Amino acid sequence: MLSIKNLHATVGDKEILKGINLEIKAGEVHAIMGPNGAGKSTLSAIIAGNENYEVTEGEILLQDEDISELAPEERAHKGVFLSFQYPVEIPGVSVTNFMKTAINETRKANGQEEMPANEMLKVIREKSELLEIDRKFLSRSLNEGFSGGEKKRNEIFQMAMLEPKLAILDETDSGLDIDALRIVANGVNKLKSDKNAIIVITHYQRLLDYIVPDFVHVLYNGKIVKSGDASLALELEEKGYDWIKQEQEV
Amino acid sequence: MELKEKLISSFMAFEERVDVQTELHDVRTSALKNFEEKGFPTKKEEAWKYTSLNAILKNDFTVFPKKENAIEFSQVKKYFLHEIDTYKVVFVDGIFSSNLSSTTHDGIDVCLMSAALTKPKYKMVIDAYFNKIASKDESLTTLNTAFASEGAYINIPKSKVADKPIEIMYFSTGNEAALMVQPRNLVIVGENSHVQIIERHQSLSDNPVLTNAVTEIFAQKRAIVDYYKIQNDNHEANLIDNTYVSQQKESHASVHTFSFGGNLTRNNLNYYHFGERLTSTLNGITIIGEKQHVDHYTLVNHAQPNCESFQDYKGIFSDRSTGVFNGKVFVEKEAQKTNAFQQSNNIVLSDKASINAKPQLEIFADDVKCSHGCTVGQLDETALFYMQQRGIPKKEAKALLMYAFSNAVIENIKIPELKQRITKIIANKLGVKLGFDL
Amino acid sequence: MSKYTEDDLKIELETKEYEYGFYTNLESETFPVGLNEDIVRAISQKKGEPQWMTDWRIESFKAWEEMTEPEWANVKYAKPDFQAISYYSAPKKVDPNKTLNDVDPELLEMYKKLGISVDEQKKMNNIAMDIVVDSVSVATTFQKTLAEKGIIFMSISEAIKEHPDLVRKYLGTVVPQKDNFYAALNSAVFSDGSFCYIPKGVKCPMELSTYFRINQAGTGQFERTLVIADEGSYVSYLEGCTAPSRDENQLHAAVVELIALDDAEIKYSTVQNWFPGNKEGKGGVFNFVTKRGLCETNAKISWTQVETGSAVTWKYPSCVLKGDNSVGEFYSIAVTNNFQQADTGTKMIHLGKNTKSTIISKGISAGKSQNSYRGLVQISPRAENARNFSQCDSLLMGNNCGAHTFPYIESKNPSAKIEHEATTSKIGEDQVFYCNQRGIPTEKAIALIVNGFSKDVLNKLPMEFAVEAQKLLEISLEGSVG
Repeated sequence: MLSIKNLHATVGDKEILKGINLEIKAGEVHAIMGPNGAGKSTLSAIIAGNENYEVTEGEILLQDEDISELAPEERAHKGVFLSFQYPVEIPGVSVTNFMKTAINETRKANGQEEMPANEMLKVIREKSELLEIDRKFLSRSLNEGFSGGEKKRNEIFQMAMLEPKLAILDETDSGLDIDALRIVANGVNKLKSDKNAIIVITHYQRLLDYIVPDFVHVLYNGKIVKSGDASLALELEEKGYDWIKQEQEV
Repeated sequence: MELKEKLISSFMAFEERVDVQTELHDVRTSALKNFEEKGFPTKKEEAWKYTSLNAILKNDFTVFPKKENAIEFSQVKKYFLHEIDTYKVVFVDGIFSSNLSSTTHDGIDVCLMSAALTKPKYKMVIDAYFNKIASKDESLTTLNTAFASEGAYINIPKSKVADKPIEIMYFSTGNEAALMVQPRNLVIVGENSHVQIIERHQSLSDNPVLTNAVTEIFAQKRAIVDYYKIQNDNHEANLIDNTYVSQQKESHASVHTFSFGGNLTRNNLNYYHFGERLTSTLNGITIIGEKQHVDHYTLVNHAQPNCESFQDYKGIFSDRSTGVFNGKVFVEKEAQKTNAFQQSNNIVLSDKASINAKPQLEIFADDVKCSHGCTVGQLDETALFYMQQRGIPKKEAKALLMYAFSNAVIENIKIPELKQRITKIIANKLGVKLGFDL
Repeated sequence: MSKYTEDDLKIELETKEYEYGFYTNLESETFPVGLNEDIVRAISQKKGEPQWMTDWRIESFKAWEEMTEPEWANVKYAKPDFQAISYYSAPKKVDPNKTLNDVDPELLEMYKKLGISVDEQKKMNNIAMDIVVDSVSVATTFQKTLAEKGIIFMSISEAIKEHPDLVRKYLGTVVPQKDNFYAALNSAVFSDGSFCYIPKGVKCPMELSTYFRINQAGTGQFERTLVIADEGSYVSYLEGCTAPSRDENQLHAAVVELIALDDAEIKYSTVQNWFPGNKEGKGGVFNFVTKRGLCETNAKISWTQVETGSAVTWKYPSCVLKGDNSVGEFYSIAVTNNFQQADTGTKMIHLGKNTKSTIISKGISAGKSQNSYRGLVQISPRAENARNFSQCDSLLMGNNCGAHTFPYIESKNPSAKIEHEATTSKIGEDQVFYCNQRGIPTEKAIALIVNGFSKDVLNKLPMEFAVEAQKLLEISLEGSVG
């Protein structure tokens, strides 16, 4: 599904990613963990195509196609979805309206007809139930005045609507209480299939109790320094990140 | 004779007392010419739409006091921040008072404008700074420039922190039936330096006074300037205060204006930016009653990228008082990434009080965050009732709410003794004792 | 990487043509250029007006001669030469006793191009229309249906003849002849416009609408609209405007007076799309308009405007809240592009007790344009418990345009509560990236964001107009989007 080879990236003059290698197959869940400032969010932003970062070396292959030169929306059309750590407010644009535009633009790019209104309504109803979202919520301005939990739930709702091949959840657990976390995790688990892949970026192990990863990678100082199975996350939770740092410095 | 004519004709008398063979005097002459053309501003001018000088100009002001009127420190101690040690530059009826002053040349210059304007060793500084940022066409500023001869001169060289606050004090004794004074201050704060200044105009009698002051402030690279203006004068005192601030990169300049007294007060406060990543702060608390009139006219001219400005003005108006807030934020095309905030909140307590506000934004750059808010309202009735229900008498409850209303600005005062002083004046003004500590 | 930036959008906008810029070759009768008392008399005579009307015009003309053009607005333009304009132009084939069937086929063709097939409008949208081309009202639809309810909706020329008492009683009461330079000029030379009277207690069953078009070269358009809503009545009124693309500047100086008597409500919506000039700033309409409404007790006047056209706009639809408990509202979207300049806003004059006003203004500037909001909220000493809320937001696109906010607040009553907020911002890069990530291309994202920004005002338009307005926003701003 996703193959990242020797990825280097900078923001301004500063090198943030220093040679990342990552192989993700369809049906897999990968967790990327690491201390603050390790480059976790940078990695997700670069996969999604944020132009504030510059890829200086390496490649990003999605289903064997290099996407590193594509515009963000072109990557989205090919099935890349990023759940933002800080979802952006767009005043005056309702959630429904936004989703309608996003879905139809994606369909247009893939040579499909626009989704008929009745089908759209049906899908919206289905997916909003999945995330336990109130219908009234859908007519509010996108992310404006949403609580932390509402924002994150809305992100996963959009993921459900867009049915991506590769979903990256950037710190989706931050700012969530236990009920919201359960709802969000539930949603993600129901969307998981052998046709798609998920990257979970998190600082804490908490979310991984609900979304169980097949692989856990530790990102430190712009590199993946350790990989393992779900037990690695537990080990990190117990020992903290200091031992990783020490190990690196030795 | 009308005041304008009187001023123009007295210029010749003034010329006999100063050296006219100087560049400085050319500056004065052309300034006078501008004033002669423009005269005193009238309500027809947009900038003076809500403030009329007509009634004041009818007084027969003495333009030059004849002699030095000595006063004792004990008479005026209460006007100083006497709890702490400060530098003092004090003038009585426009004339320097050496016995009340405490100046210095030790590392920093805190002294007299008259000396700076005439002594050769200051010539380079005067050439570089005097009248460089003050307006050359605003009529009252040019009137001051025409007669500029005395005031405070403060020069803090590079990387110096003024070791104590500086108080600039202008007393008028009332020995003249009506007096007009035109102080001229120059403040230069060098690179990486820091100074705190308090300015106050105080009349000691009930005779009418008109002060037309101009202050030029230059904040060099990374300099920090905190300037406090205390306006708590007698009811026959009128103040037109023109302040011009020039800022270089990464400097912080703040001017806090506390307007409680006086008959008519007009504050023209202008900021000009000459470097990036600098911060301008303009704060004000106005609490007036009777027939008092306070007009804040501010301009922040954002000409450079990445700068910030914050304006926060609170006003409480009772009796027949009138308040004006006219704030202008100008963002030039080059000034990308500007953050400009402006807020004016007003509480009106009486039927006869009135408020006029004109907060303006003029923006020519697209990547900016600018906002302004302006409110006119009353004290929150439910909050009042809540406090009364808990046993706080209405008067105190009101005072407490008003104090809370102005608190955001009071919190910005960095000299603790001054903060205490201002709080006391506010409590006095509100007619209560605030039963809590700061 | 295919990257569609705001710069690309800007270029697209500059090359986007004004869609209504065609000229229809109608045979017209046009007065010689110039203005003097004789011309004013001639206009009045041409229209067969009674003596009082002629006198009123002459009085206005004399006042105008003494006045000078206002300078205070934040706009720069070459002052029109008032002696180089023809003050009367009428499509020739208009019969005074016109019916739709008599209308010049070329005219009907023109409506089609404008997207307003009169017949279709009549059938589908339940909108009664009055259409004014150059100086003369050419077609008023639905008159009969309205007449059954006692509603009078006709051109003002007809009204002067048929309902002289009503016109005489109210004309100039809200906007006096000498109110300002352009109002005085209009009072002297106004050629036509719409008149509307809603009787006591009647809720007008359909939207009333006037469509204005300047067609003939070298003419000015000076229409006059008078809407009277009698006690307890309700009316929603729409007006739209277009003009052909010409190199010269055309002058449009209209006056609109609204009178809402006790318990009445008037909703007045405008979609103004006069020719804005070409991308070099040549040509375009000078739109100098005085619009004002008077509210008696418990009455409500609501102004909604979408301003996308004109080279220079000078316009402040206002409410005089004279009666107790009266309500004034102003909702505005002003879009400027290329070299357009707009100085627009409102005045809310609170005179009565418990009066309320709301101001929502959205300014969008692009290209090299200048967009100013100018507003006055005035609370008089006897306006107990007056309330005002104002929100003025500006959106800037590109770095060659300007957004300006000049709100005046004058309060002389301590029980007043006034809140004013203003913001200026650009479209955030993070907003665009978020949309991109969800598969929405940049130009569509900008359209979406602009529409969201304007939504509070678009929502206030009647349904039929909202769609048109939204389209207009996209045309004037969003280039190929949509």
